[in-house]
Amino acid sequence: MIRILALTVALSLGPAVAWAQDRAAEAAQIFASTCGFCHQDGGRAAGRGPKLAGTDRPDDYLLNRIRVGKEGAMPAFGRAFSEAQLRALVVYIRSLKDDAR
Amino acid sequence: MTTKRGALYLARLAMVVLVATACSMSSTSQGGGGGTGAMRTSMSEPAGAGNDWMTYHGSYQSWHYSPLTEINPDNIKRLQVAWVHHPGRSTRGLQSMPLVADGVLYYTGSYSRVWALDAATGKPIWSYFPKLNDDLVAAQTHSPYTRGIALGQGKVFVGTVDGRLIALDMKTGRPAWDTKLVNSEKLTVGFTGAPLFVKDKVIIGSQGGEWPGRGPIFGVDAASGRKVWEFLTVAGTEESKKTWGNDSWRTGGGGGWMAGGYDAESNTVWWGTGNPAPLYDWAGFEWKTTGPRPGDNLFTTAVIALDPDNGRLKFYHQELPHDAWDFDSAVGEFVMLERDGKKLVVHPNKGGHVFVYDRKDASIVNVWQLTKHINFVKSIDPKTGALIGRRDLPLGKHTNLCPAIAGGMSWNSGAYSPKTGLYYKIGQEWCMDLEVIKTTPVLEPQAQLDIGANFKLRNPEGDKAHGHLSARDPVTGAKKWEVMFPEPPLASLLATGGNLVFVPDPRGMLRAYDAQSGKEVWSHNNGIGHNGGIISFAAKGKQYIAVATGWGSLVGDEFGELFGEPYKSMPKDAGAIVVFTLE
Repeated sequence: MIRILALTVALSLGPAVAWAQDRAAEAAQIFASTCGFCHQDGGRAAGRGPKLAGTDRPDDYLLNRIRVGKEGAMPAFGRAFSEAQLRALVVYIRSLKDDAR
Repeated sequence: MTTKRGALYLARLAMVVLVATACSMSSTSQGGGGGTGAMRTSMSEPAGAGNDWMTYHGSYQSWHYSPLTEINPDNIKRLQVAWVHHPGRSTRGLQSMPLVADGVLYYTGSYSRVWALDAATGKPIWSYFPKLNDDLVAAQTHSPYTRGIALGQGKVFVGTVDGRLIALDMKTGRPAWDTKLVNSEKLTVGFTGAPLFVKDKVIIGSQGGEWPGRGPIFGVDAASGRKVWEFLTVAGTEESKKTWGNDSWRTGGGGGWMAGGYDAESNTVWWGTGNPAPLYDWAGFEWKTTGPRPGDNLFTTAVIALDPDNGRLKFYHQELPHDAWDFDSAVGEFVMLERDGKKLVVHPNKGGHVFVYDRKDASIVNVWQLTKHINFVKSIDPKTGALIGRRDLPLGKHTNLCPAIAGGMSWNSGAYSPKTGLYYKIGQEWCMDLEVIKTTPVLEPQAQLDIGANFKLRNPEGDKAHGHLSARDPVTGAKKWEVMFPEPPLASLLATGGNLVFVPDPRGMLRAYDAQSGKEVWSHNNGIGHNGGIISFAAKGKQYIAVATGWGSLVGDEFGELFGEPYKSMPKDAGAIVVFTLE
């Protein structure tokens, strides 16, 4: 029974892991095409925009800022990207190692 | 403006051939403003605009030079603020070049707000605030600044970030027409650069570069607002389409986001184009055959010569074939001059080199290096313009690429003085580390930036990031004098007949130098950095200097992290027109 359960979990996790990996890759790509213009070194360092690695802002704050932007400083991406992409960007930001550069 | 003045003005605008030397007005300030001078200059006169400043680059020859002599190194100590005008909502600072005609100063601020003011007192005459698509503006990166206007046929012409070109009556500010030229709702970009008025047309170039579109330049009938022609800077001809493998021209970028120059003698408009998209190219050394945009990518990062009547391409020179570094040709002035009987045009490229062309066909006369830290190429052949030792950037990490993405020169203009024969220009010394990453262009529902790398600005190896002003022979590049700045000035320069060069600096000081020697002779603290225009004009018999203040351009945004204070705390939502005269 335990063996069957483990197998079931493994089977269902497989695609989930792959899906998450795809999302992470997509988020990294979106970042390098659009966000990295201001948030430098892939969000690891400050530049035109603030450093994102190690941010203490909650997820909802980050999501909202990406959606609506900030006048004169950051564009609104609410129309540009899907909800899944926006969430993947937050996951990408959370994954950045803060090496205090 | 009185009817008489209006008639004079129209007559002057109609003069597109060079005014005979005998007719040229005295270059003293005694000619008087407001159309009272016996003989007026036109914007096609090489000496510049006389009492007025009627086009973005000062004259069609792009000299950013005023022949006025009242203010000079001997009396400049008496130069003081005459008046100030605050437009409000100066998001990203005031980046525009004011214009003056017949004693009225016209300028635009962020969001294409246009003002007409009494040039001697600053008293408002009219204003016009266009209604913009706010949702679109909120989604734009290269926004909401507007860098200038054009004057002609009794109208003021201004572009908008939501893709329109608007004509306003010079006397009343009432719109004469409002023409939608770019589908900005889809392409995200619109117009931020100044239009250029030529004959009976208004010419304006769209934004482009790392934005996936085809970067059109438009010729619009000044009387009716009807679009007469459109030239696509990306694959604008069948032949050039072949320089974009795999149909990559569909998202090629390009654009022509700054005003060009006009050679009245040959009826040729010179315009610079933006870089291709994606900005960085993971194909690296194999860019000719693979990657996101295989080939030379015509007509990006090029200077193009257009017939203003029909928009047809006469000839071109691509300064950087397959630009893989964001070193636009859209930046910079087209300085027209003569040397040894040859008619030349001098054009700076963002990468740090200055190209000198023969005006008859854009063939290379010389290429010289303005900035020290350049390693994106080993050199550029001064005889052919060919790039020698390109540093292409394949997928992965690269260190110390020079100059940085912000360029060896930025979009604001240098100045040329026919009195000293010197060209005054700011150079920027900085580098960056980057990691090139494969991307796919995002076009739906709205186009997005396509950079293709993560990057970080840094000091050059063995040096510190900085800037400099140098005075050089415009053709050979030979340096006469140089002034170092701890941070690169980002505003346009002004040269005057009074032997002065003005530099609005990034910390907020407006500085004046002796044009011959480079000695600083005056400075004034405007209290905020500069990243816009500066002009000189005469009104009611007096010479004035007008400068745009305010900080927050996309290049200036780098300063806080790179240089610390005063930039970290410098406001990015302020700016004014500050006007000086002798007390």
